[in-house]
Amino acid sequence: MSDAIAGLVHAAVARGASYADARTVEREHEAVTVRDGEVEAVTRTADRGVGVRVIHRGAWGFAGTDRPGEDALRGALDEAFRRADAAASTRGRPVELAAVPAQRGEYRTPLGRDPFAVPVPERVALLRAADAGLRGPNARVRRSSVAAYRTTKRLVTSEGTDVTQHIVESGAGVAVTAVKAGAKPAQRYDGRLTRQAGWEFIEELDLVGRARRYRDDAEATLDAPLAAERPTTVVLAPEFLALLVHESCGHPTEADRVLEHEVAFAGTTFLWPRDRGALRYGSEHVSMTADATLPGGMGTFGWDDDGVPAMRTRLVDRGVFTGYLTSRETAAALGLPLAIGSARAEGWQHFPIVRMVNVSLDPGTASYPELLRGVADGLLLEAPASYSLDDKRQNFHFSTQAARVIRNGEIEGHVRGVAFQSLTPDFWGRCDLVADDWELHGFLSCAKGEPLQLMRVGHGAAHARFRDVPIEVRG
Amino acid sequence: MSLLGPEAFLGPLERALRDAGGEAELWAHRRRSAITRYAKNEVHQNAAADETYVQARVVVSGAVGIAGGTSLDAADLRALLSSARAAAELSRPNPDWPGFAEPAAAREPRALDATTARASAQAQADAIRSVAEAARARGMRAAGTHQLELSEDAVANTRGVAAYAPMTMAYLRALVLTDAGGSGWAEDLSSRIDALDPASVAARAIEKAAADHDRARLEPGEYEAVFEELAVAEVLRFLSLTGLTGQTLRDGRSFMAGRLGERVTGPAFSLWEDALDPRTLAIPFDVEGTPKRRVALVERGLARGVVHDRQSAKWLGAESTGHAADPRRYAPGGHAGNLTMAGGDATRERLLAGVARGVLVTRFHYTNTPDPKRATMTGTTRNGTFLVEHGEITRALANLRYEMSALDLFAGIDLLGPQRLARDWWSSNGMGSIVCLCPPVKVARATFIGSSPL
Repeated sequence: MSDAIAGLVHAAVARGASYADARTVEREHEAVTVRDGEVEAVTRTADRGVGVRVIHRGAWGFAGTDRPGEDALRGALDEAFRRADAAASTRGRPVELAAVPAQRGEYRTPLGRDPFAVPVPERVALLRAADAGLRGPNARVRRSSVAAYRTTKRLVTSEGTDVTQHIVESGAGVAVTAVKAGAKPAQRYDGRLTRQAGWEFIEELDLVGRARRYRDDAEATLDAPLAAERPTTVVLAPEFLALLVHESCGHPTEADRVLEHEVAFAGTTFLWPRDRGALRYGSEHVSMTADATLPGGMGTFGWDDDGVPAMRTRLVDRGVFTGYLTSRETAAALGLPLAIGSARAEGWQHFPIVRMVNVSLDPGTASYPELLRGVADGLLLEAPASYSLDDKRQNFHFSTQAARVIRNGEIEGHVRGVAFQSLTPDFWGRCDLVADDWELHGFLSCAKGEPLQLMRVGHGAAHARFRDVPIEVRG
Repeated sequence: MSLLGPEAFLGPLERALRDAGGEAELWAHRRRSAITRYAKNEVHQNAAADETYVQARVVVSGAVGIAGGTSLDAADLRALLSSARAAAELSRPNPDWPGFAEPAAAREPRALDATTARASAQAQADAIRSVAEAARARGMRAAGTHQLELSEDAVANTRGVAAYAPMTMAYLRALVLTDAGGSGWAEDLSSRIDALDPASVAARAIEKAAADHDRARLEPGEYEAVFEELAVAEVLRFLSLTGLTGQTLRDGRSFMAGRLGERVTGPAFSLWEDALDPRTLAIPFDVEGTPKRRVALVERGLARGVVHDRQSAKWLGAESTGHAADPRRYAPGGHAGNLTMAGGDATRERLLAGVARGVLVTRFHYTNTPDPKRATMTGTTRNGTFLVEHGEITRALANLRYEMSALDLFAGIDLLGPQRLARDWWSSNGMGSIVCLCPPVKVARATFIGSSPL
C-alpha cells in the first residue's frame, strides 16, 4: 500500500494535477459497555481505506475507497479528476495553497499501557465497579463504558511530504438517569473523558468515585428546589467551560467560516479579518490558545492532513480576538500567515477541512478557593446538558445537568432548572477571574462538514467566574 | 456509481454464515456518496467516497460480541465472525438478550432510481451552476450542497433471515445571500435526481433573500407563527429522539411514559412512523432484518405507541416493529426515522392569512433539548425569519431563539398545509438520520425567548 499511494500521487502529477496527495488511514476501535450491571456488548471495529485529493484546472477533486487493489485506487484517482474538472467548470479563481516545506517523519502517541492490551475481564471488572457506584434509590438507567482507539495514517504529497502517524486514544464514560414519580428525570453523564494516552488515563479518572459523584448529583437534582431566575454570579467548572470554549471560541475562529465554505450548514462567524487585534471578545482575563502540540490532547498530532507540522497560536489575547484556525487553502485565501495547521479529516473517506485542534482557555493565577471567596451569592455550574448556538456563534443557550448554590464562598446544595442565554462577547466580557486549576478534556465527536465528519478535539480550562449572568429557570 | 446487487452483496453474508455455526448475524451497509459543496457561486469541495461497513454479531451462551469491518471477502468475513465470537466469549451473558430475528416477508424495496445512481459529477456541477447563475443575476451569491447517494443494505442471520435493499437519494440545497445581510433557503429532497429542480430551488431561495433586508429585532414573547416544513421537521426530530422509542418509554423519559391512550397534544396533530410510504426515503427492513411496520405514534392528539427493535420489544413484552437503528449511531432500543405527520390543504397564502401578528420561520439552526421529558426544543431561526402582520409579511427579523415543548406547539395547530419530504438540520448532513413527510403549520402560539444581533 505504501508504494501504491506514492504511485498514485506520481500518477496524478503526470496527469496534470498542480497538487496531489494521498492518505491511507487505518482505524481500530474496541469498546466494552455495561448497562444496568450487565455487559451489553463487547465491540470491535476496524476501518481502512485511501483518500486521494488533486487540484486540477484550479479546483479540488477528492475520492476515497476502501476497496483494495490497484484497480480501485486508479478508479478513485479517475473519480478525483472527474470531480476536479466538474468543479473547475464553476470556478473563476484557482485554489491556492500557503507554502509549507516538505515534511518527513513519524509521530507516535506516548503510551504507558496499550489500552488494546488490557484484558477484557479487567475492563469489565472496572465497569461493573463503576456501575455499582451508579446505583441509587432512583437510578433507573445506568451505563458505563471504556473504549480504545488506534489510528495509523500516512500522507504523501506531490510536494515531497511523506509522514506517518500512530495515534492511540483511551476513553471512558459513566451515565445515570434518576427517575422518580412527580419529579423531572435527572441525568448526569460525561461523554468527554478521552485523551490521547494509554490505559493509565482510565486509571487516573477514578471511574468508581466519579460514578458515585454523578449518582449523588442526579439523586440530589431530582428533589432540588428550582434556582432563582435572576442575574447572578456564576462559576463554571472546567468540564462546563471545555464545551463553552469549543462552541463559542473554537468554532467562530475557523477560517473556512470566514470564506463561507460552511455557511449553508455549520454557519459563519462574527470574527472577521478586519477584527483581528481590535475586536473585544471578552474581558482582560480571557486568553485562548490553539495548540496541536499539547501532550495528551485529542487534537494533538505530528502533522495535520495538509502536512503542516503541529503548531501553537493565540486566538484571543487578554480579551482581544487575534487569530484563526487555518488550513493551507484558507490561510492563502485570507492572506494570513500559516500560524497553525488545522486541516483534518475524520477518515480516509473525508476531505480535510478546518477543524479545531486543542483550543483552551488559558489558566489564571488565582486558586479555586480564592475564586470562590469572591462569590457572596451565586451558582456553581458543573456540567452542561443541552447547548445551542446561532449560525454566527453569537447567541447561545446552555442548560445544566448539575448546579449548586454558592453562598459566602461556600458550595451548598443543588438547584435545578438552570439555563442561560447570552451573546458570546457579552458573556466572556463578564469573566472577572480565571483560576489556576487548569485541566484537559477531550471530545470524540465535534460535528462539522458535509458529509458529516466527527473530529477529536481537546479543550483545557480552569474554573472561571462570571458576573451578572442572567439565569433562566425552567421547571 | 455502480450497484453490486443481491448476489454480490447479500450472497457473501449468507455463505459466511453457513460455515459460522452457532448464533450469528451479519449486516452490511455500502454507501457511495458524491457530495459537491459550493459557496460564493463556486464549487469549493467535491468529494466522492465508496465505503462499506459490515457488522457481525455473535452470541455465545447469551453473551453478545460485536465486530465491525469493511470487507465482504470470504476470508475477511470469517475473520470478522471470529472476532465477534472472541468478543462474546470475553463478555458475560446478557439476560435481556432478545435473540436474532426470524425470517419474515418484507415489502419490495422501491427507493432505487437508476438514473440517480448513474449521474455524473458534471451533472451535479451543472445544477449548481444553474442556481449560482440565478443568484448572480440578482446580485446575490449562493452556497449549498448537491448530494447523491447510492446505498445497499443486506442482513443475514443463522435463523434464515436474508434481506437486501438498494436505495438512492438526491438532495439539492441552496442558501442565497445578499450584500445587505439577507439570506434565503430552499431545497429539494428525493430518491430521484430528476425530481430536483435547480431553477425552482434558486427562485425560492432568492425570493426569501430579497425580502430579507432591514431586519428588526423582535421582543421575546409568545407569537402566532407559521412554521415551514423544515422547521416542523426540526421539532419532530426531538419528539423522535426523546419520546417515540421503546427505550425512552422503558426508561421513563418519554412524554408517553404512563400516558398511552391519553391526550398529549392537540387534536389536529397525528404522527406515524411509516417507512413503507412510497414518498419517503427508506428500505423495508431494519438492521436486524425485521420488516418495518407502520406504527401509529400519536393520533388526533392521543398517545398511541412507540417503535421497537428486538431489544426494547423484549424489555416491554412487545414485538419488534422493525426499527432497529444503525448501531454505530444509536444505542439499542428503537429509532423512529421515517416520520409522517398528517397534513392538510392550506396554501402558503392561507397559512399566512390567519396570522394577525406573528412570525414566519423557514428553518432552524443547531437545535437541542433542554427538557427531554417534554420534548422541548431550543434553537435559533435562520435564512428566512419574517414578521407577519394581518396576513402579510411586513418585515425581516433578526434570527430568533425559540424554546418550546413540541407538545405545546402542536396543541395549537390552526391550519396544516400539504406534506413534503424534509430533513431537520442535524439529519441534513448525516448527524441524524430522520426523514419527515410533514406539512407547514400555522400555530396559535410559539415561544421566542431571545434574538441574535442585527
